[in-house]
Amino acid sequence: MTTSPVGREIDRVDGRLKVTGAAQYSGDYPAPDTAYAHVVTSTIARGTIRGIDTAAALAAPGVLRVYAAEDTRLSLYPVADPYRGLAESYLPLRDTTVRFHGQAIAMVVAESVEQARDAAALVTATYDAQPPRASLADGPRVPSGPTLTGSPSQVTILAPGVESIDEALAASDVVVEAEFEQPMQHHVAMEPHAVLAVWDGDQVTVHAGAQIPSAYALVLSQRLGVLPPQVRLIGRYVGGGFGARVVLYSDAPLAAAAARELGRPVRLTLTREQMFTLTGHRSQVTQTLGLGASRDGVLNAVSHGSVAQMPAIGGFTMTPAHATSDTLYPTPNLHIDPRQVILDLPISRAMRGPNEAPGAFALETAMDELAVATGVDPVELRLRNYATATPTTGRPWSSKHLDECYRDGARRFGWSARSATPRARVDGQWLFGTGMATAVYPATRHPASVRIRLLDDDTAVVSTATSDLGTGAWTMVAVAGADALGIPLERVTPEIGDSDLPQGAPAVGSSATHSTVPLIVGAARDTIAELKRRAVTDSGSPWHGTNAEDLRYERGSLHANGRSMTFGQLLTALGSRGVDATASAPAGAPAGYAYHSFGAHFCEVRVNRLTGETRVTRFTTVADVGRVINVRAARSQIVGGVVFGIGHALLEHNPLEPDTGRLAASTLADYLVPVNADIPDIDVHLLDRPDPLLTGPIGDDGGEVGTRSLGARGLGEIGTVGSAAAVGNAVFNATGIRVRDLPITLDKLL
Amino acid sequence: MRPHTFTRVRSVREAHARAGADTAFLAGGTTLVDLMKLDVMTPAHVVDINRLPLRGITLDREGLHVGALERMSDVAADRTVRRHFPVIAEALELSASPQLRNMASIGGNLLQRTRCGYFRDVSTPCNKREPGTGCSALTGVNRTHAILGTSDDCVATHPSDLAVALVALGTDVHLASARGARTVPLDGFYPLPGTTPQVENVLRPGELVTGVSVPRAAWAAHSTYLKIRDRQSYEFALASAAVALELRGDTIARARIAVGGMGTRPWRLTSVERALAGRPATEATYESAARDAADGARTLPHNAFKPALLRRTLVRALTVLQERR
Repeated sequence: MTTSPVGREIDRVDGRLKVTGAAQYSGDYPAPDTAYAHVVTSTIARGTIRGIDTAAALAAPGVLRVYAAEDTRLSLYPVADPYRGLAESYLPLRDTTVRFHGQAIAMVVAESVEQARDAAALVTATYDAQPPRASLADGPRVPSGPTLTGSPSQVTILAPGVESIDEALAASDVVVEAEFEQPMQHHVAMEPHAVLAVWDGDQVTVHAGAQIPSAYALVLSQRLGVLPPQVRLIGRYVGGGFGARVVLYSDAPLAAAAARELGRPVRLTLTREQMFTLTGHRSQVTQTLGLGASRDGVLNAVSHGSVAQMPAIGGFTMTPAHATSDTLYPTPNLHIDPRQVILDLPISRAMRGPNEAPGAFALETAMDELAVATGVDPVELRLRNYATATPTTGRPWSSKHLDECYRDGARRFGWSARSATPRARVDGQWLFGTGMATAVYPATRHPASVRIRLLDDDTAVVSTATSDLGTGAWTMVAVAGADALGIPLERVTPEIGDSDLPQGAPAVGSSATHSTVPLIVGAARDTIAELKRRAVTDSGSPWHGTNAEDLRYERGSLHANGRSMTFGQLLTALGSRGVDATASAPAGAPAGYAYHSFGAHFCEVRVNRLTGETRVTRFTTVADVGRVINVRAARSQIVGGVVFGIGHALLEHNPLEPDTGRLAASTLADYLVPVNADIPDIDVHLLDRPDPLLTGPIGDDGGEVGTRSLGARGLGEIGTVGSAAAVGNAVFNATGIRVRDLPITLDKLL
Repeated sequence: MRPHTFTRVRSVREAHARAGADTAFLAGGTTLVDLMKLDVMTPAHVVDINRLPLRGITLDREGLHVGALERMSDVAADRTVRRHFPVIAEALELSASPQLRNMASIGGNLLQRTRCGYFRDVSTPCNKREPGTGCSALTGVNRTHAILGTSDDCVATHPSDLAVALVALGTDVHLASARGARTVPLDGFYPLPGTTPQVENVLRPGELVTGVSVPRAAWAAHSTYLKIRDRQSYEFALASAAVALELRGDTIARARIAVGGMGTRPWRLTSVERALAGRPATEATYESAARDAADGARTLPHNAFKPALLRRTLVRALTVLQERR
């Protein structure tokens, strides 16, 4: 008897390959006769290249090519709408304009990776430099464009008779107004950006990590001036995405164009230093929060302004109130005003909780300040301001159990033992404190296709071009496939990370699982229908000529007329290798509802009273993410998200030099992310309440396939949203010091 | 990395024969290879000295003798070191990562280069790397930079934890060149940057560090190393303190103090040592002794917190030591 693996603790199906090193990442794929590329980067942030001296590099051993700015041998083309946003706005090495510090200005290709790197060091450039725009505080602030969902990012809702948000705030009994700073942050995925481009005639196969394999191949085809079917992207194993692998940077176009020009495979692997400028980052943002409330803490006004960096070459439009202040708490007066400052910077990209993480840091810290100002317990304050419909759209939620997250989390954490008075708990040199915050993230279903193939050896192949960034997508596809087909997990072969597969759900916006799983259910239904059709129409079948409706599929076998055969036996009898069907669905979910995942974070810190270091000692997160497909991977995702949040709270920042436009940190010794010693055991509890509106495929009649109502929502990013605020609120409780500019380093607590 | 020759030598004499202006000695390689990859160090010849007989961790009546090629991890694990010189073992274990400690040598540790981001980025001016080009850190990002012993030409912090512990303990460094062997106090091994920040030590051309000797002293066994940093592990010090006390009852007979993360070299604080001597071992004593510890400090826009952090680090380290009795 086969038990469905859904909702269980399932080991990663790719785990053995990864821990043994057998899994091939982009930089691992071999190709005969590969040449190696190394990029040379600009040492000014704005200006023009006067000249590039490539003579020494060209004369260096093993060097095949040195492409410098204005090189006409690299045939690259602009990307057209609607994909413009998935590529950089300029063509690499096309002109002599320097747009940011660390831009590609030349590329050396040589017989070995060492020869390419060493020759690249011999390339020198002279510039006509201009002063860069590199100060968020000093630049003109322009209103931001639409949010991710296309709605206007500026919002003003006022109660009848109220003239302005300032009036609403002024009329409130209790007002909290504060400014919050979050510095530039980097994705710093473990795996460097590595590309291998191999041409075969006019077809090119590119090995690279991509969060959206099909879009990556499509955009690259435009960059290369070829048709989409001529580009295949393979990135089966990816060492971290976090938003840094959504778009194409200059690496893949340069490698593929050089491979075409040279007639040889070309590999380009960015160095760690180069990843800080040649790939995306999260913009620095300043936020202004104004909360007006009654004496018992009920909100009357919320004002959320922000000013974020926007690179002149384009980037991610950060709107931090999106899904935070426009979603979390009901208020009769709401004002949201995101702005941006154009600067000469590397491209900015979405990064884990792209709006929600910075937004929740500001909002959930301000809520903590409101709790202090009103004397209402922080959990109680949030329950008093509990939304049953979003403040902007008035839509109810498909499913929302945030109140249970608060209460469960408080109980698991021991919140009731807390003193609201700062510095109340001292143990030797250490001040202890606790804090909490809310997590929220939109659940957006993206378009996708899934193909299922049943084979004559009783295995099934489930194929979809989504991507596993280390998240567990391989396992998710296998688990959902085994569930839908009612067969053991070991008999399901997942196929992902290849643009030749049916277009998969993008591994962005915490959406891959809940976009993919319903289609796995749908593809299983359609494949079983196809199996039945073959069973009654094929003359080799024992059920030939009978009625397909009389056939019952159960746990990998067809049953009818007192006879049973596994699909493998039937296919063998038919002399067929397999049957398949593909299910596709557009984006979206039933209209009229809001879709979000929710959570509550509880954090304990200790802060040294002499030297000010903050150490996180306990962390509890309770999350409401709908149905949990794989408990182990889900917990890992949330633990990883919380680690991100702890890093944002305490460590991560990259200072931008205002005079030079240079980023100060370019190594993992200078750009600090948490190490194991910084992270306590993180207690994660998942409510596992299936979302009734995100169930099987649209039109599913609850037939013979799988768990009837999967009802999964996203959970990839929710651990990061709010966790920095929980840390900061705990620091306040420990020390009485409110740090509003991240990271909370010891110098701010001395 | 620039093309270079690679030679492995088996004797000190052979190493001296290979020495030259364009030659770098390779021990653990954790600094040299790193900086060669960044083009900061561009030797034409690399001479591997790992086969030289500069080994051994021994304790005699004089003190502790450690060969320059002993690995950080081996010295940190040595029972004699742990028992009689805990500040050394602790400084080592709070350095780098296990993998780096398994490779890095004691001699190399003392010669490691600064972590100043401008020194490490060849596209920026740096007087230490390229004399006369200017100091980018003065107007750049300087939160981790030094406040003691700086000059208008260089504010780079000395990065070694071990050197701080060894300076506190009055360690001698043994050197050998073709002209012979000599011994200098580690405290005098590192000149201040002044107008020549490229001169980081008193080594003569081709001279090797062959080992260190730490004198036996009552304070050495009652010692500790405290390292303050943003991250709990795998990070250089924002502030550190090596403290060693010789106690008579509850009175401090003698104290040895050095700090890291503060100076352009490991910074011995003799004024604090004097202020502690003869006083009761209490937090009040520590606070009063630390009060003037940062006298003469010159702060930069991003590290104005360091004088306060220095004083507090000293108090905390002394308190930790007191609790350990």
